[in-house]
Amino acid sequence: MKKFLALLLAALMLLSLTPAMADGPEEISILLEGNNVTDDAAVLEKLNAYLTEKINVTVKPVWGTWANFDDLARNAVNSGNNTYDIMFTCSWTSNEYAPYAKKGAYVRLDDPEDNLLETYGADLKTVLPELLFEGAMTEGPDGQKGIYAVPGFKDFATMSTWDVNVTLLEKYGYTLQDVIDAGFYGWGDIFAKVKAGEQADGSVFYPFIFEGAVAERNVNGTPIVTGDAGSLLSYYMNLEDVSTPGAYGNVLLNKYATPEFEKFAAQMHEYYEAGYIDPAISMGDTATDTWRNAQNSARYLISSEVSLYGYEVTTSNARGIQVAYIMSTDAPYIDNTSVQGAMMAISANSEHPEAAMKFLNLLNTDPYVMTLLNYGVEGIHYTLNDEGEVVFTDVRNNSYTVWTNGLGNVTILPPQKGQGADFQERFAAFYAGSKKLPIYGFTFDPKPVENEIAAVSNIKEAYMLGLCTGARDPQTDLPELLKKLDDAGMQKIVDEANAQLKAFLGE
Amino acid sequence: MTSIAKKRSAFRGNAVSGRAEALFHVTLGLFALCCIIPFIFVIIISLSSEDSIRRIGYSFTPQVFSLDAYTQVLHLGDSLWRSYFNSFLVTAVGTLLSVSMCVLYAYPLFRKDYRFRGFFSFLSFFTMIFGGGLIPTYIVCNSLLKMGNTYAALIVPMLVSPFNIIIMRTFFQTSVPFDLIEASTIDGAGEYTTLVRIILPIVKPGIATVALLTALAYWNEWFLCLLYVTDRNLYPLQYLLMEMQRNAEFLARNSSMIGAAGAEALRTLPSQTMRMAVVVFIVLPIACAYPFFQRYVVAGLTIGSVKG
Repeated sequence: MKKFLALLLAALMLLSLTPAMADGPEEISILLEGNNVTDDAAVLEKLNAYLTEKINVTVKPVWGTWANFDDLARNAVNSGNNTYDIMFTCSWTSNEYAPYAKKGAYVRLDDPEDNLLETYGADLKTVLPELLFEGAMTEGPDGQKGIYAVPGFKDFATMSTWDVNVTLLEKYGYTLQDVIDAGFYGWGDIFAKVKAGEQADGSVFYPFIFEGAVAERNVNGTPIVTGDAGSLLSYYMNLEDVSTPGAYGNVLLNKYATPEFEKFAAQMHEYYEAGYIDPAISMGDTATDTWRNAQNSARYLISSEVSLYGYEVTTSNARGIQVAYIMSTDAPYIDNTSVQGAMMAISANSEHPEAAMKFLNLLNTDPYVMTLLNYGVEGIHYTLNDEGEVVFTDVRNNSYTVWTNGLGNVTILPPQKGQGADFQERFAAFYAGSKKLPIYGFTFDPKPVENEIAAVSNIKEAYMLGLCTGARDPQTDLPELLKKLDDAGMQKIVDEANAQLKAFLGE
Repeated sequence: MTSIAKKRSAFRGNAVSGRAEALFHVTLGLFALCCIIPFIFVIIISLSSEDSIRRIGYSFTPQVFSLDAYTQVLHLGDSLWRSYFNSFLVTAVGTLLSVSMCVLYAYPLFRKDYRFRGFFSFLSFFTMIFGGGLIPTYIVCNSLLKMGNTYAALIVPMLVSPFNIIIMRTFFQTSVPFDLIEASTIDGAGEYTTLVRIILPIVKPGIATVALLTALAYWNEWFLCLLYVTDRNLYPLQYLLMEMQRNAEFLARNSSMIGAAGAEALRTLPSQTMRMAVVVFIVLPIACAYPFFQRYVVAGLTIGSVKG
């Protein structure tokens, strides 16, 4: 009996070994974000044939959508299964890069012991700008800083802008330069004239429809502080030169306690009282819909947008007007939030980390692989016009819509219709001119003060949008908010954040 | 005729007083109104023009009516009809399997001569109070049973409902006297004949009630799909709608982070009126099925095997 058992066990062991010894290509599965794909057979056939030949790997993408990505990723990580070998990650979904890396969900790519990035991703390291890897440095489960995902080479700098409806502006005899010269605090006359003119037929028109938080960022120059999920802290940039510290130096402040914020809120309230701002943007439920609807139907004069290079062409065509973006800073600025905007991590439970890295290397450096996965098969999903630009077919629009920025290096893609043949060179040149924030690389760790943050966030939530869109009067409501924040321990959060920043800057 | 009517109104027997009856009517009427108004509202929104919503928001009296939303839904084409098919398939197969399991589980629990009924009652009851939690359930379904991306993932996790089993058992207890089983045994019926030919016809209303509950549950289910299914060809209709909704919400919430790319994606999403039109598409079939079941549900209140 014992002998039989031993034989059986040996046979089982052999059986379990066979797949590992097999010579066939290794299959890796990839969880992606933001797609609408129902038929990927044609793409996978070509892609896997190519990949098998090149690196002996085949891929099986799981086309996550905006709707289900968070749940799929969370379940895969929490259940500890090797469901996916490669997972999309970033700084803004619930599948956030820094916390998940800290939790040990991803493989460290530059691990000194088996440096996957050096061994299998050498081409990738030369193609992607060094600063992307700097921004990808984060703390792992062992407390050491390392790279836990391949950052996407895309619009990696933030352009916080005002979105101007130039067509409407010119109808009333103004130019874009007038808007720039007048500045946020001097738009009253323009608003008054346009509102009066547009309402002549008896309808209601609001010239100023925007996102509260972005407007505050534009006016005061306060970028998102990575890790500050409740937007409680402000870092003041130098709007003339974002690579140097602003008026306050390298410190973090209570967002609502600065004279700048008070002045901004007072001006907003003035515009609001004058009827220039749509009241619907000061209510959380309706804010985004109202703002986007106004933009899409071109019923606005000035709005806000976190824009990217060449975007005015897209929006002008879509809205049937001439759109212009006024950047609030002297150059696009690089912060963690933008650099960690789209990344690919290798799951810690993956059984094929080497194959995964080989694939990521190819995806970011080989235009054929990137174009195939992103745009589809030429002749089926897109055609090339005489200028060599990509024109999508109905097949792609209906059954193979991929979120381009969610995949990787977009600079090796051919240009799309209307972008011009040299689009990628211009794109790269534009972002090469972007500047690093002085606190670039800093991530606020809310853990030590999480109780205070929980208490403070609820209070802030009730006031923030109202103050940033002018619905609340800062004369009465701002002191009230500050008092409540202080009582709930706001100062402790600010002190902790500054202590962390000091340690980061090595002061 | 008038005299009869008068007589009838004069004779109120053990009825409640007129005032109380009026109160009941008003209360129930208001309650019914609360149930039906949201649905009427959905229909009106689905018939509003998008522009009207943009200008005056949701309203019972939109400025302009339009059928655009329904044309858009029909343009979904394949994915709509495939989801419709999936919903019907999952509901039909799921209900059939689930109801047979429910009846087969509940029947022994009602038989007093079954030795382990206490244990099996407890077994099903226990899972009503203590669940395994999301992640363990996910691991069992996805990794152990390998149900990811199959129809089974949409059907199997909901097959056994302890609540329905308890309803069914109670229904057996109240409408089937034990003498009946003894009588059929004496008449020479085996266990299967007794169950299929004697018991089942009596408990038809109970089965219909459970079937209705199960069918509703399967028809409205979207969470299982969210967990286990990523293949869009397997999406049921509810999840198609849910996905439109969640896509829009996600993009709205993160708009300042995704920036322009998110705005692009948001613009290509189905409009609000279209989402409402899909709701109408979802509700219609199950609303049509309701009257058929309802006949049995009402009958179940009065029927019994022993007359008098």
